[in-house]
Amino acid sequence: MQTKPNPGFFKRNPPIAGEAEAIEQAKNGDAEAFSKLYALHKRRVYTLCLRMLGNVSEAEDMTQEAFLHLFRKLGSFRGESAFSTWLHRLTVNLVLMHLRKKGLNLVSLEETINPSEDDAPKRDFGSRDPQLAGSVDRVTLERAVASLPPGYRMVFVLHDVEGFEHNEIASMLECSTGNSKSQLHKARLKLRELLRQPEKLAPVAGLQEVAR
Amino acid sequence: MKDLATANFDKMTAAEFEEYLPELFAMGGGKISENPRFAVFFKANPYCAALVSDLETIAEQARSLFEPVGDEAGLEPSDELWPKIASKLKEPPEE
Repeated sequence: MQTKPNPGFFKRNPPIAGEAEAIEQAKNGDAEAFSKLYALHKRRVYTLCLRMLGNVSEAEDMTQEAFLHLFRKLGSFRGESAFSTWLHRLTVNLVLMHLRKKGLNLVSLEETINPSEDDAPKRDFGSRDPQLAGSVDRVTLERAVASLPPGYRMVFVLHDVEGFEHNEIASMLECSTGNSKSQLHKARLKLRELLRQPEKLAPVAGLQEVAR
Repeated sequence: MKDLATANFDKMTAAEFEEYLPELFAMGGGKISENPRFAVFFKANPYCAALVSDLETIAEQARSLFEPVGDEAGLEPSDELWPKIASKLKEPPEE
């Protein structure tokens, strides 16, 4: 029996026309329906991988892994959350597993996601730095996000872009919710610093080069 | 963790206020910049008001990054990716 979905789950991920049918057909092995799911979600999944990994080649590999994994696990999707949310969570978990395999120590993640002093946002309370001009264009913000230290970028992308809650991020990153909140705050402070001097941001050639 | 319920923001220094910010932003429930509880503090500390406003702008704008926009280069996998995936789907599952 299909579980009744919680409407709150669909605030950011409204159902896409034809998606539900494609999911059901793909569950029954319909390759064409699966290719439709790929077409509908490839950009978001790839962008998520790229933002988390900061590397085009790895992002493509992980996008491939995510869709292969999706194909195998699609039967377990019950509709309790939006399909996008479910797919993105699956993708995030795969990327994190990939990063751990590359040597990110799960136990000491709270330490490893802390950047060096140079990367940390400056403490400048009381100073007279100019305020942002009221709005930030998305290309500049994308460049600034790509320039963040990896730990900050990870939490910022998961929370502010992807919309995960702190308790979910803490669970995925195996850190405390307090740490997730603190990292997010530092990430936003660092972004503010970067956005005040957009001319210093590296140009986006894809996203990959600036994120390294 | 800072106790928001008992904090007296009217008499806080900017540095003290900063310690509460991660929790204030995590709390949700509307903009901090528009919350009357902080009106006195922000009037006395315009720099903090500007900081909060900037951080709110950043968080709001970040949501727009969720959906890639059509003309943004580099935000789409290569055309070769789907044939690779389709080919792997035909392979028998690994034991």
